[in-house]
Amino acid sequence: MLKIEGLHAGYGGFEVLRDVSIEVGAGETVAVLGPNGAGKSTLLKVIAGLLKPSSGAIHFENRRIDGKAPYEIVEMGISLVPEGGRLFPELTVYSNLMMGSFNKRTRRYFKDSLEEVASLFPIIKQRKNQVAGLMSGGERQMVAIARALMSRPKLLMLDEPSSGLAPKIVASIFEFVKEIKDRGYSVLMVEQTVKKAVNVADHIYLLESGRVEFHGKKEDFLENPKIKRSYLGI
Amino acid sequence: MLILNSVVNGVLFGGVLALMAFGMNLMFGVVQIVHLAYGQFIMVGLYLVYVLAILYHVPLLLSCAAATAAVALLSILAYYLVVKPLLKAPPINQLLALAGVWMVLENACLALFGATYKGVQVVLPVLHVGELYIAASNLIGFVVGLITLAMLYLFLNKTYTGVAIRAIAQDPEITGIMGVNPRTVYLVTFAVGGALAGITAACFVPVYSVHPHFGGAFTLLAFIIVILGGMGNLLGGFIGAFIIGVVTSVSSTLLNPEIGQIIVLLICLLIIIIRPQGLLGVRGK
Ligand SMILES: Nc1ncnc2c1ncn2[C@@H]1O[C@H](COP(=O)(O)OP(=O)(O)O)[C@@H](O)[C@H]1O
Ligand SMILES: [Mg+2]
Repeated sequence: MLKIEGLHAGYGGFEVLRDVSIEVGAGETVAVLGPNGAGKSTLLKVIAGLLKPSSGAIHFENRRIDGKAPYEIVEMGISLVPEGGRLFPELTVYSNLMMGSFNKRTRRYFKDSLEEVASLFPIIKQRKNQVAGLMSGGERQMVAIARALMSRPKLLMLDEPSSGLAPKIVASIFEFVKEIKDRGYSVLMVEQTVKKAVNVADHIYLLESGRVEFHGKKEDFLENPKIKRSYLGI
Repeated sequence: MLILNSVVNGVLFGGVLALMAFGMNLMFGVVQIVHLAYGQFIMVGLYLVYVLAILYHVPLLLSCAAATAAVALLSILAYYLVVKPLLKAPPINQLLALAGVWMVLENACLALFGATYKGVQVVLPVLHVGELYIAASNLIGFVVGLITLAMLYLFLNKTYTGVAIRAIAQDPEITGIMGVNPRTVYLVTFAVGGALAGITAACFVPVYSVHPHFGGAFTLLAFIIVILGGMGNLLGGFIGAFIIGVVTSVSSTLLNPEIGQIIVLLICLLIIIIRPQGLLGVRGK
């Protein structure tokens, strides 16, 4: 469904991603793991069209998408939950969700999408008139995921959904990710916290200094001796 | 009684000022551009009403509506010719380009209409309400201003395009991944800003005669209101407009209009020194 080949990208002359190739199959959940500064957010920004790659190709459902504008990429069915959620702080929860369904493909399904998303996150109905900037971090993350789902994506991308949240809330966020996965969405998630992310993923990529250092099924990841030592602490 | 009277008239005039400042504020908040030629768009609106109503004997209300539409179109034209090519340019280039629009409009009007005052001589009554004397022109401006602002409020809160306008002012990057083409939003914003300049001009018809240097003072006044409220803060600008309206009106009554202008500028300076983010603005934004 999503196929990234030989991707190079960076900021100005500073190269962040080096020859990155990643695949996400339909209905699959893929986790890209890596330490701070590895280039995880950069990767998602490139896919979402927020940053132009310097070389390489990205195909989504057999159509080439690298170089397209962000608003075109949403129309095709890719949605990003940015790091920290990035809700529009002065808009209400409802208006944030409206923005989620802005694209032409799904705007007319707003009511249906809202019901569907509310069945996952009841909070969006209870708090629909609250200004997003006044919510707690965990609530904002939920609304941010809800906003992304409002665009009825085929591929949902999550940038460190657990960052900055209390452990209990992190656990519930991953429960939601699991639920989203069970509803049939394809998910591409980047994370620093390895253990929780590995639990929900089918495939794992390990990104270090902008290079893919490992990729394989969850089982292979867990069995790999080097990874066991440096990432799982066993 | 004299003071109360001028406070009331100041509040009423504040309605038009709020409308005027809203246009500039919106363009600043969304496109991050200080529209230096904003007052000149109001000036063009006034000239158009003069041409239609006086030279071509078009009914006054129709002239005002046509002028509003024409100023909105002119604003769209300015967006395509001047703003769009400079969207990624440094702010100083954008400012200079809009200063250029200012010059072009002023001199075009000077060439076409000469340096003398032109106006539509509508004489509106002064109403007696209890012991108050209220200028009907102020009342009309107030009502038109508030109705327009109420419609804008609905537009900005209830429609997709309106919410996108607010969203892009808060986080342009994320607005893109919602499926919004920023260029479309900028275009709509300039159209709305131009229409607001046109409606402001229509409200000014019974109050002012127009001349080629009419615009500068209103660009400045709109800018002062925007600074007072906090740049890009629509509610702040709304409140700021009424403050400026009342201050101008009261000081003109008690002292004289020139002193009134000086006081307005002093308030602006004080705000910049004491509270640079404006009344409702957030520091660092
Ligand atoms: N906007 C930017 N401009 C310049 N450098 C950036 C920018 N964003 C990130 N970087 C750099 O790119 C590298 C990768 O960052 P990022 O993709 O955010 O990593 P991660 O999400 O894995 O923590 C870091 O060295 C970071 O400093
Ligand atoms: Mg990151």
